[in-house]
Amino acid sequence: MVSVGIIANPASGKDIRRLVAHSITFNNQEKVNIVQRAILGLNSVGVEELIYMPDYYNIVPRAMACMPGDYKLNIKVIQADMVMNGIQEDSADAARLMRECHTGCIITLGGDGTNRMVAKTCGDVPVLPISTGTNNVFPRMLEGTGAGMAAGVVARGLVNGSKSIQKNKKLKILKEGTLVDIALIDAVVLKDIFIGSRAIWDAERIKQVVVTRGEPDSIGISAIAGNLEPIGTLDEYGMAIEIGQGGDITIMAPIAPGLIRPVPIRNYRLLNLGEEVKVSNGPGVIALDGEREIEVGENDEYFIQLTLDGPNVVNVRETLREAVQKGYSRMGNL
Amino acid sequence: MAEKKEQLLEMYKTMVRIRTFEKEAIDLFAAGKFPGFVHSYLGEEAIATGVCANLKDSDYICSTHRGHGHLIAKGGKLDLMMAELYGKSTGYCKGKGGSMHIADVDLGILGANGIVGAGMPIATGAAFACKYRKTDNVAIAFFGDGASDRATFHESLNLASIWKLPVVFVCENNGWAISNSQENHQNITDVSDRATAYGIPGVSIDGNDVMAISEAAEEAIKRARKGDGPTLIECKTWRHRGHFEGDPGAYKDPKDQEEWLSDAKDALVRVEKKLIELKYANKADLDKVKADAQTEVDAAVKFAEQSPDPDPSEVLTDVYTV
Repeated sequence: MVSVGIIANPASGKDIRRLVAHSITFNNQEKVNIVQRAILGLNSVGVEELIYMPDYYNIVPRAMACMPGDYKLNIKVIQADMVMNGIQEDSADAARLMRECHTGCIITLGGDGTNRMVAKTCGDVPVLPISTGTNNVFPRMLEGTGAGMAAGVVARGLVNGSKSIQKNKKLKILKEGTLVDIALIDAVVLKDIFIGSRAIWDAERIKQVVVTRGEPDSIGISAIAGNLEPIGTLDEYGMAIEIGQGGDITIMAPIAPGLIRPVPIRNYRLLNLGEEVKVSNGPGVIALDGEREIEVGENDEYFIQLTLDGPNVVNVRETLREAVQKGYSRMGNL
Repeated sequence: MAEKKEQLLEMYKTMVRIRTFEKEAIDLFAAGKFPGFVHSYLGEEAIATGVCANLKDSDYICSTHRGHGHLIAKGGKLDLMMAELYGKSTGYCKGKGGSMHIADVDLGILGANGIVGAGMPIATGAAFACKYRKTDNVAIAFFGDGASDRATFHESLNLASIWKLPVVFVCENNGWAISNSQENHQNITDVSDRATAYGIPGVSIDGNDVMAISEAAEEAIKRARKGDGPTLIECKTWRHRGHFEGDPGAYKDPKDQEEWLSDAKDALVRVEKKLIELKYANKADLDKVKADAQTEVDAAVKFAEQSPDPDPSEVLTDVYTV
């Protein structure tokens, strides 16, 4: 059975960054449209089963309900057998179930935050992230049709090239040696004391940044690294940065959509795989992939470690190129 | 940090005052102490508190039929409110308005309102006045998910967006329009999605997290004061009670009800936990806030009960006639 999962987050693209930055509002009907095209893509390459995460907007059922009548779908659509709580952990629960059901690929619709939850439990199942969030370093803006086709090709085992499916880095957040959370792109230590509305938009509240990667055109805190020394997905190092006065460098970086701010750099260094960075003393808050998540007490001791055991990520263009080379697009070869 | 501590403690006090007033009003109404209706704000205290914490006296609010919380958060006096509930001559509207029509123009409270969705055009008009008079004042319109289906919502957002008016539309989405669930009355789950249609920012936030609400309101109000126009903030919440006192709320799933009333979700308990975690207060401090609120509410009840009824000769006074 060739099976693919879809995890579409109905809450992505709606937080306070539409107010404090210039982020787009990603309405849920557009997510339905993307999913509809992805399903058609999956169906076209012979995927037999789609398992989806239930969500409060019913994104996948709505996509199926408005599927044009002249499409003959062979794909069986099944809701993951899980309790929907309407919280971010739903994405992690769904990814775990999909891994246990031996799906060959998981398509996600969300931002960095959604994918962080999926990465906690998806194991080795390749992830194909479509951006419908705010800070979108991990997921890309993709057309649903091609994404569905690529996910199907991966699930069918038609590609195995290292360009097609890439191993990603990740950050482990450790409290007294115990893993408490992860980040895929950046972990940011803030002067805040509350999680509050979760988002980060004030550069003056940032104390420390640790990234797995960062490009000058990234959006979010990882852009600070990208504007110091760009680090790509496949580079086997990351970066640790201390923010504040006292250094020689101030860089300009888009720390949120449309929000390009000067950021004073006290110092920075490249970080090798396995290396740990001590979180400065609390009270403070650690934001993971753009969202404030962990409140650090005065006496808490946290470390952030760079590792190479992040999720396997599908590169749509490289996957379809490899598949074309193998003749998948010639009629009769599927 | 000290400023944050002060702000959080102040917001906690306001939330406790709202909850204490509402609990008392529910008990008094059940005992037949005053006439009319009570639409309890229990469970939604964080929204009025988080929003109004960012307002000046000269800013305006337009409330709803579930308005006690908004009025208290904007500075409404508990004794005059309670007297109004009792229909006494000392009440905010001399006893002629009752629970759903309390107003205090001096405090910028342009009225609770018995008509669903009727506050939004008033707030839009107040915002127009703020802009026309070249002040930096803003107007807030509180309303529910049901009201966001009304023409008044769409017309207000349209006008406010065209004229870039200093108004913040605060949707208290408690999932129920009287007894009609949101999925039965609208084909969307996030009311904030509707902001896109008017070219204004729309955000959805946890309506039981006073810190998140205060942050979002602060930014929206700042934006309005700067002349950047309106914002739609959707606060996801839950009313603890039925639509009105006397409605047992049998249409709610008991599991949902239990979950929303749990310590993990209750807005007031969440602030208490935070205050203790941050060592901003200890249990004795919190108990004192509650005791002070009860004393204030008891005095308000005494004031209301001892106040005279309106004189029959005033039946047509302050009443518009044509």
